[in-house]
Amino acid sequence: MKEEKVHVRLLIVAGVALLWMTAVFGRLGYLQLVRHSDYLARAQRQQQRTIEITPKRGAIYDRNMHPLAMSVPVESAFAVPFEIGDNKIMAARLLSGVLGIPRDVLETRFESGGSFVWVSRKLPPDKAEAVRALNLKGVYLQSENQRYYPKRELAAHILGFVDLDEKGLAGIEYGLDSLIRGKGEKIVVMADARQRWFDGGSAQKDQGANVVLTIDEKIQYIAERELAAAIAKTHAMAGTVIVQNPNNGAILALANWPKFNPNSPNDAKPEARMDRAVSAIYEPGSTFKLITLAAAFDQNLTRPEEVFNCENGAVYIAGHRIRDHKPFGMLTVSDILAKSSDVGAIKIALRLGAPKFYEYIRGFGFGQQTGVDLPGESKGILRKLDNWTPVSIGSISMGQEVGVTPLQLVTAVSAIANGGTLYKPHVVAEVKRGPEPLPITGTLGPGEPKEVIRPETAATLRRLMEGVVLNGTGLRARLDGWTSAGKTGSAQKIDPATGRYSPTQLIASFSGFAPINDPAVTILVSLDSPVGLHEGGEVAAPVFKRIAEQVLPYLDVPRDVPLSPKLMQAAYKRNQADDEQSLEDFTPVDFSAQPEQMPAPESGEKKAENSQPAVTVALDEGGDIAVPDFRGKTMRDVTEMCLRLGLEPVLVGSGLAMDVAPASGAKVRRGAKITVRFAVPEAVARAANSAKPNGKNRNR
Amino acid sequence: MMEFRTVKRIDNSRLVRHVEPAKQKNLFKTAGLGGVVAAFFLFYIFQHFKCIDLSFQLEDLKAQQAQAAQLNSELKLEIANLRDPMRIDVIARKQLGLTEPLPTQMREYETPSGMQVAAARLVRRGQQR
Repeated sequence: MKEEKVHVRLLIVAGVALLWMTAVFGRLGYLQLVRHSDYLARAQRQQQRTIEITPKRGAIYDRNMHPLAMSVPVESAFAVPFEIGDNKIMAARLLSGVLGIPRDVLETRFESGGSFVWVSRKLPPDKAEAVRALNLKGVYLQSENQRYYPKRELAAHILGFVDLDEKGLAGIEYGLDSLIRGKGEKIVVMADARQRWFDGGSAQKDQGANVVLTIDEKIQYIAERELAAAIAKTHAMAGTVIVQNPNNGAILALANWPKFNPNSPNDAKPEARMDRAVSAIYEPGSTFKLITLAAAFDQNLTRPEEVFNCENGAVYIAGHRIRDHKPFGMLTVSDILAKSSDVGAIKIALRLGAPKFYEYIRGFGFGQQTGVDLPGESKGILRKLDNWTPVSIGSISMGQEVGVTPLQLVTAVSAIANGGTLYKPHVVAEVKRGPEPLPITGTLGPGEPKEVIRPETAATLRRLMEGVVLNGTGLRARLDGWTSAGKTGSAQKIDPATGRYSPTQLIASFSGFAPINDPAVTILVSLDSPVGLHEGGEVAAPVFKRIAEQVLPYLDVPRDVPLSPKLMQAAYKRNQADDEQSLEDFTPVDFSAQPEQMPAPESGEKKAENSQPAVTVALDEGGDIAVPDFRGKTMRDVTEMCLRLGLEPVLVGSGLAMDVAPASGAKVRRGAKITVRFAVPEAVARAANSAKPNGKNRNR
Repeated sequence: MMEFRTVKRIDNSRLVRHVEPAKQKNLFKTAGLGGVVAAFFLFYIFQHFKCIDLSFQLEDLKAQQAQAAQLNSELKLEIANLRDPMRIDVIARKQLGLTEPLPTQMREYETPSGMQVAAARLVRRGQQR
């Protein structure tokens, strides 16, 4: 009996247990098997997030890999209005106090609803920390990249700037935006209930490319500093300095005034952000005589020794009277360039003829873009040959009725400096993604160098340009320790009120290179409307000198002439000499925009500033080999003499040696390059000419 | 009426349960298989949750790496700021009282050839010994 009762109870318990297990496993089976896909989809919706990854913008470096522009992660604050709920007013009040944004602005944003609204983007670290410390519900921080230009205004016009979304708006940032920016991508991540990621997706595949420029940070600073000093001294409206390597077209420095800080581009006026070096067009004035003479020499239409009558300073062409800045009588072609005679240049151009002249002007790259890898380049102004008036040839020969950009002019002068090859100017040396360099094609490519004049023509012009510096209008461009050559320019601007050339507003310029025999740099200095002294030789040439005398030793270019005796005497005796006036100008003028407050100098320190620098080293007389007199010698003799002396001859032309640069007697170092110009002697040439049936007698 | 209860002492100690070898073998086989299946499920569950745990750790490390990269960028920016030529120029001139050297204070030397440098280093090393 009892046993039966126990048995029944056991059966009941087993039955209940069985029922319970059936229910549990049945439900489990139903959820896992029947509703499997539904719950899987729900779980994925809860856990998966699609995140858009913004690639880090590539950095921009100078040629020595010093960063000029870089992106750094910063935090931006955003809000999810529906999560803030009823605390919008309080949240707006608290955030307003921390961020300095008006409270009503924040309230309006929160009231807009939706699931995302920016509170403030790209916060400085202290403000981001303050927002985090508030710990407000519905307010979060997200990482973004902020573009910084650590050298502030340095090379601002080349670098350009970006907007809030790191999109390039000017300069290299704009020109190479698609490369530097990289490609954004979306990744899918899994997040838990606390929004912690546990399956973060793959790393960024297409990072922004880094750009290495041809710009040298230090040369750029020297150019900008000297330009600023010149602007302050001359009260000019604007200015440009370009330093270029004439042997390959690489731009080492490009400075404009006014300038701006790309970290806050909106604080500057639009005219300050303009890259005048590639966009501003001006009439080059006397500098353009180089092109006139280059064409005439290349066509063998004249020689440096040929004498022209400069008509005492006035000439009529197509009924228009054109006057020189000074009345000149008989001048050789060398003197026409050195003394910058407009009348002489016009006569040479008339001999050349308009079609040939136009061909050479286009050959030197004027009237068309140079192809530089900077945006906004202007073609300049050059009328088509068919549109030239009878007076155009005269005007253009002296640099009027033609508009050039500073970059076009310095590129043309570089062609003369390097022996006649026109290189495409460029600022981009390399583009890299990670360690791998990207192929440079299209506008970034080096372009084909173009021979525009013969090497002999270039050598002749270099000698004449040296004459400008030694005896002509460019005396103040003469360097201490290096040979230099160049051409001054003082072009009148058109007065918009009268539509005529203004006698007081000029563009003063100087374009030159140094040293002569193996040019390391070509430098152009241009000042717009200097006040007071306004000739190129007076205001622009000294800037060329100061820049060249700092850049050449920085580039380790050896000296090729002895130092000025006056300078050495002043250094020894600590006396004020005439030349020291130029040394005072080494002190930069404006450092008001410095980030750090320098301690006020005490009286002892003030004394140190004003005292003369102590002389620490003995005389350096330049070199120990005197350049011989090669006149009348053959090429073989010249080569043998140079090899014996340990000099490197550069032979130009054919026939017998006529002259040499550096001049005979100058002291040079072993291994220095000397240029020897050869020509057929005049008597032989005349005899050869008279023997020809249709020989033209070009002598006046 | 009096009831008498007799106590019956039963001694089952001498009883030996007869185990059938075949049945025992089956039992062990079944238990073993069940153990393997259980171990398999346990291992599957273990590695699944371990994987999630490692994912969390990986994300933590990625976050640390991102923080380190951010710090690296900020330091590089600071270095670039400190190396600003204008800043160095101001410090040199205004704080340290330096000026640019005169041309007479600069001396040029010819760079010796690689062979000369190597020879000089050899001599110096020998002297130091």
